[in-house]
Parts: sequence; C-alpha cells; structure tokens
Amino acid sequence: MELFIQQTVNAISLGGVYAMLALGLAIVFSIVRLINFAHGEIMTFGAYGIFLALAFGLPPAAALLFGLAAAVVMALAMERTAFRAMRGADVVSLLITSFAVSEILKVLFQNGISPRPVPITFPPAWSGAYEVGGITIGVVPTVSIMVTFTALMGLSFILRRTVAGMAMRAAAEDIEMLRLLGIRANRVVAVSFALSGLLAGIAAVIWTAQRGSVDPLMGFFPVLKAFIATVLGGLGSLGGAVLGGFVVGMLEVLAQAFLPDSLAPYRDAIVLAAVIAALLMRPDGLLPAASAHRS
Amino acid sequence: MSEQPALALQTHPARLRAANWARTACCMGLLILVVAALTLIFGRAGERIAVQMCVNVSAVVALGLFCGNTGIVSFGHGSFMTIGAYLSGILTMPAGLQRTALPQLPGFLAGHELSIWTAFPVVAAAGLTFAAITGSAVARLAGASATIATLGLLIITHGVAVGAREITRGSQTFFGVPRVTDLAMALGAALVFILIARLFRESRNGLFARAARDDPDAAAALGINPRRTRFIAWCLSGTLATVAGALYGHMLGAFSPASFYLSLAFAHVAMMIVGGMASVGGAVTGVMAVTLLQDTVRQFEGGAEVFGIAVPEVFGLTTVSLGLAILLIIWLRPQGLAGRLELGPGADAKLLRGIKETTEPAPVPDRAAAAELKIENLSKSFAGVKAVLDASFEVPTGRITGLIGPNGAGKSTLVNLLSRQYHADAGKAIYANTDLTKTTREGVARLGVSRSFQNLRLFPGLTAYENVLVGAMAKGHSRAHSQAIAIRELGDFELGKLAATTAGALPYGARKRLEVARSFAQDPSILMLDEPAAGMNPTETDDLADRLQRAGAARGLGVLLIDHDLRFVNRLSNWIVVMNRGQVIAQGTPEEIRSDPAVIEAYIGRGRTAAEAKLKTQDPSKPMEGVKP
Repeated sequence: MELFIQQTVNAISLGGVYAMLALGLAIVFSIVRLINFAHGEIMTFGAYGIFLALAFGLPPAAALLFGLAAAVVMALAMERTAFRAMRGADVVSLLITSFAVSEILKVLFQNGISPRPVPITFPPAWSGAYEVGGITIGVVPTVSIMVTFTALMGLSFILRRTVAGMAMRAAAEDIEMLRLLGIRANRVVAVSFALSGLLAGIAAVIWTAQRGSVDPLMGFFPVLKAFIATVLGGLGSLGGAVLGGFVVGMLEVLAQAFLPDSLAPYRDAIVLAAVIAALLMRPDGLLPAASAHRS
Repeated sequence: MSEQPALALQTHPARLRAANWARTACCMGLLILVVAALTLIFGRAGERIAVQMCVNVSAVVALGLFCGNTGIVSFGHGSFMTIGAYLSGILTMPAGLQRTALPQLPGFLAGHELSIWTAFPVVAAAGLTFAAITGSAVARLAGASATIATLGLLIITHGVAVGAREITRGSQTFFGVPRVTDLAMALGAALVFILIARLFRESRNGLFARAARDDPDAAAALGINPRRTRFIAWCLSGTLATVAGALYGHMLGAFSPASFYLSLAFAHVAMMIVGGMASVGGAVTGVMAVTLLQDTVRQFEGGAEVFGIAVPEVFGLTTVSLGLAILLIIWLRPQGLAGRLELGPGADAKLLRGIKETTEPAPVPDRAAAAELKIENLSKSFAGVKAVLDASFEVPTGRITGLIGPNGAGKSTLVNLLSRQYHADAGKAIYANTDLTKTTREGVARLGVSRSFQNLRLFPGLTAYENVLVGAMAKGHSRAHSQAIAIRELGDFELGKLAATTAGALPYGARKRLEVARSFAQDPSILMLDEPAAGMNPTETDDLADRLQRAGAARGLGVLLIDHDLRFVNRLSNWIVVMNRGQVIAQGTPEEIRSDPAVIEAYIGRGRTAAEAKLKTQDPSKPMEGVKP
C-alpha cells in the first residue's frame, strides 16, 4: 500500500512536469504550427537562471522567480529572433528551424556556462519528507503536484475567461481571421510563447528541485517525452497534451516500479513502444484537436 | 520562351524520359567531379573526406527517398543505420576477436566471419524486415505526428542498443569491425543509391507517393492509397539506410550507439534540408555543401588565428555552423540549394529539342455501358446539423445530371459522402452492385466513379503532364497506355504547351481545366464535378460547357454536375436535382425545375411570383459557399 501511494505520488508529479511541458508545446503549436524542439532549452535556461541567481546570493525564493523570468525572456527572445521571420512557413521548415535553434543554444550553454552539471542547492527543509498515516511522502513531489495543478488551473482560467486567452484560442482556429478583426496577431503569438516559457520555467523549477543540478542537456530529454505526450494526446489539442503528459509520466513510473531488473535498461524503449502502439489504434491521438477542413 | 516554337506535345513522354536520365547523370556526375577534385587536390586527406562524403551521400539519399517523396521528415533513419552497422560488424568480425570482445553473443550470430559482400544481402534483408515492421506503424501517421513517431523510433532503438549488452557491448565502444569501406566501395554505393532513388522517384510508386504528399485527399479520390505509398517508400528507404549504416560502421571501425543517435540524425536531416528535400540532386548537393563547410570549420574548432585575430577554442563550432547554415537556408531559400526540381534539364530544355519520338494519343474509350448510380436515403449530420437528410436520386450513365441548391444545401457534402471523404450516417449509394458507402475511398475510384473538388486539389509539385499521368496510372493502366491517355487529355484541354510546367505555377483557368482533365484521364463511367466553373469568366465557362457536352456525348458518361451558375447547369443538364437544407426538394427536366414553386422559394424566397422570378438573374459572381454544410 505504501509503495502504491508513493508511486502514485511520483507518477502524478512526473506526469505533471510532462503535462506542463506538453501544454507549452501545444499552445505554441496550435497557434503558429511550430513543434518547438528548442522548448527544452527554454527549460534549461530557466534552470541556469536559478543557478546564477543563487550564485549571486539571491534568497532561494527570489532565485526561483528569477528562473521563471529567465525562461519567459528566453521564450520571447526565441520567438522574436528566430520564429517571427518564419510566420506562415510550413510545419517542416518550422520544425527544422527550432531544431537548429536548439542545437545552437546547447553549444552556447556548453561554452558559456559549463559542459558539466552545475549544482543547485536549495535549503534542506525543501527536500525533506513527511508522514501521513505511517506513509512517508516527499515534500518536493507533493509541492510539485500542487504547483502543477495550480498552474494548469490558472492557465485554463486565462484561456477561457480572459480576452487574451480567448484571442489565443481564436488564433489557434484561424490566425488570419483574427488579424482581419483588428487584433494584433504578433501580440497574441508573443503571449502564447510567454505562457509556454512560463510553464517551461515552472517545470525547470520542479525538475532542478528534484535533481539538484543543471547541465546543457537537462531540458532536452523531458521535452522529448513531452513531444511524445503531445502526439499521444493529439497534436494541437491542449487538453490532449495535458492528458498525454500524465499518461506518459504514469507509464514511466509504472515501468520503473514494476519491470523486472533484466528489462530495466529497456524502460524508455518499452514506454515509447506502448505509446506508439496506442497511436496505431488512434492515429489522431487520445483527444484529437477539432479540425474543420473541407474539400 | 515565347519566341521559340512550341514543342509538340506528342514528343513530351520521350523528352521527359531523356530528361530524367540526364538528371540522374547530373547527380552522379556532380558527385564524381567533387570526389575527383578532393582526391586530386588534397591527396590522402582529401580521399578521407571523399569517403566520408560518399557514405553520407548514401545515407542522405536513402533518407531523402522517404522524406522527399512523402514530405515527412524522419529522424528515425538512425535506427536503420544502427542495425546495419552492428549487424554487419558482428557478421564480418574475425571469430577470435569476437570471442574476446563479445563473449556472451547469442550462438546464431557468432562466428560467421563473412566477407562484406556476403554480409550486405543479409544486412539489407534485416533492414527490410525492420522497415516493414516499423513502417506499418509510421505509415499510419501523417505530417508532424509521423515525424515525432520516427523520433520515438530512434530513441527506442538507441535504448535497445544500449541495453542489449551481450550483442552491442552496451554504451561502450564496439570495436574490431573490419575497416573495408574504401573510396571505390563508398563511391560505388553512393552512385547505386542515387540511381535507385532516381528510378523510384520517377516510377509508378514514386509518382503516387509524391501525389499523396502534395494532396492526400485528392490522391485517394484517384484511387491511390496514401498509406501504402508511405509504406513502400519507408521500406525501400529503410533498406538502403541499413546498408548505408553498414558502410558507415565499416568506415569507422569502432563505434557506440551514440554514434548513430541524435547528432547524426540531426546532421543528416540538416544535409537534406540544406540541399533541398524534394529531389535526389538536393540530397547530393546538401551533403557536399555541409561536408565541405564542416571540414573547413573543423580547422578552427581547436582555436586559430583569422586575419590576425585569435579565435579561442570553441567546443561544438561545427554544430553551430550547421545550425546557422540551416537557419540561413530556410530563411533565404526555403526549397534548399537545389530548389524544388531535380538538377539538370527539364523536358522542355533546348538540349532535348532534337528528340522526335512521338507517342500517339490514346483513342477515346468506348461508350460507358448503361449503368446507374442509385442514391438511396443518404443522410449525414455534423454535430446536430443535418447536412444531408434522406437524399435519394439516380445518376445514370449517358446523362448529365445537374445538382443545384442554395449555399449550405448539402451538395458538396453529398459528393463527399459518395467519394467516401465522409462516412454516411445512413443510406446507400449503389453502383455496379457495390454500395459506395461501404467501400474505401480508393475503391470508389476503381469502380469508375471519379470526382473533381470544389477548391482546386491538384498536385502542385508535379508537372501538368504528371498530374494527368498519375490520374491514368491510378486507374490501373500500364505506363505506356497512361502516357497515351495523358497526351490525349492534355491535347483535348489545350494544355499541351504547359505540359512541363508544375501545376502550382499554372494560371487559374489552366489549373481548373487540368483538374477536369485529370478526372477524364481515369476513363470514368460516372464523373462528379463539384463546381468546375467556379471563378471562371463567361467565356471560359462556355468553353468548359462545350467540352463537357462533347465528352459526355462521345463517351456516354454519367456526369453529376454541381454548380452555382444556373445558366451553366441549365445549358448542360438533361435532368436537374434541387437540394435545400439537406433535402432533395425537386427533380425533373430543366423546364420543370424552372417553374417549380418550391425551387423558386428556396432560391429567392416567398412573396414573388414565378413569372417575376427568373432563375437566370442569380448573380454568378457572388462569393461561393460562404456557409458550412
């Protein structure tokens, strides 16, 4: 029972990180049709922001905020420098552009900061554990679950209830029409990148809090999982991205907890194969994005 | 071009065949030239670069065979290369070395000590098997989802290669692979790969794949199965990539799973994009440009002095230069260095003007046998909106049946139901003892029921000639007969001068005619034309009406003609069906329909008499189909 609850907490906490990353990818994809390979570098940059702020002696809470801001700034800078010039290009060109941006940023991190992991130390109280009814549960996973759900609910509120959010959902359907209505498309796109950067920043905070270090490749692998999650959920569908993130996180924790040791090296391969098998059943994903195309 | 005499359409197939061979020769010649220059100028160092370049050409041509013909970027070809390198390494390794390096190797793999030439067929067969298994998954997905799935495939293969310690030594270096990839072998392989890729690109399956790449719905309406085209391209491409992986392994001699992981996948995709994904020449150009760029940049990676300024040691300079090269290419020349078309002369090139071999146009097919498409109680709703409700009427051969109705009446939805674009909620559509609503999209076309689309759905990357050729071949005709049909239809629709122009570059009127010509090339018995005259001026409309009337009379076609231009429909149709709000509200001869009060009400509204309301006054220039069905 204890194992079950602990694994559930782990699964939700890991799934939450994937869900936030996947949601950030999906927001941007739904509006500008960009599958952002460089999303992982936004997350890495957020983590380096925390590292630098701590190194300059900022208190931990302020350092976290600085990290979030760094991620948002990175997302906006990326949109302005690399992707705005490409507005309206086809999906493949955008994908390759982001791949190039991602590779360049990784090299910049390696040369500018360090190719090896740099440590991020938070106060010990943050990484403790507590007991509920005789079951030990980590503080970080618990807090990360709370943060994830707050972030997801906040985002859902923004998308459904605010003008900027509705403009973004409208842009996802038809950005040209939005422009004709007199809404500044550039601003809507910038807001969507900022939101995706913010989500990547939150993911960076949770990820570094659990691992205690940051390296140039840190963001790349969770974002690979998030890609898979967005496709599993249905490319372009926001709800699908969140669902896909949680499913991938859960599968991963399940595989870690219950696969026999002899199969342990194949964990990622098995999880991915399961996802691809699911896609064969539903090629448009679990919650397909509504698409209205006519002959 | 205009002052030169127009080339005879009948010589187009022969000129195109010559042009295709010339283009293949151009690709090969370019590679041989650069390889020769490298080895002659730079000696041993140049030869090393040339070998690497040729292996990369093989790998990227294999990659481009899938990506270029299907439009799906694959990051998964590293999987094939991994399999090829490890399998060929194990099969050719000296047995003694193998016992010490891989003591736990499963028996069936151990101790073969094959020569590389006996290993290649085994490697290729393994690659084909793996491609067939993975292809059945990848081919089901399209666009960006497929790209991410191939990335997933790469991660899976990498994970398995790292995990399978007994076979691959895990993430440790796998050594002892005979270094047998020399310049002759690498160049030979690259040339053979170029030839295979060029032959595939122009073959029946290659044309079908490119048609489905440009417009999967239109391809399916012609009888092409887009999934099948992706599967075939994936299998051939994967097999070649596996062999390229073996060559790569035998070039390195020692490698680890990381050698075939993301950085290699990135490099190969980058080479393909820089050169131009749509053509074989692009793949070759891209590899050469990137290899030369990287080898130049590598000189500076360890720090150097440029024009007296000391450049510090930069780790990953080659990666950055590759990234910047991609960004610049995509911003400045999105189709790549080589552009959309193959390098070398097109069918209209001066060089090929001397070719006089002609192809006679195919004879007009026999009159279609008397048959009837019987639509019975067809219904379809979208989220509660009843787009088509209980529609029943007949479309017999030998008659032009007009289908009219106000915007949103459900006309296009009905055609989409008949062509299986949509799935009917209820009802049947019987033709030749088959219920169209129960067959596949491709099956409809094979029964002899063709369609055109309301908004143009051509294959913009193919030439006008190829568009029509694909239509004929998709019906199952042989290539020779399809060529003759294409010549006939292009001639009939006065598109002969534009035969070598890509469809995307044609003027609007020509594109409209081309789409109708493509449907005619299928020798259909029933032809559904969804607003063929939309956007045409009155002269063009009259011209199209004449052609349809002539063709209908000569071939005994059954035409289902949808249009907003009532004058056009009235002039052509022997029978008119009127729809409103999803229902058939009237049908009869044009005279009967013109005086039917229900029809007048649907078009003009209540409160006017039939005498005042002339259907002709309907303004043909008003915007088409503003309302969704």
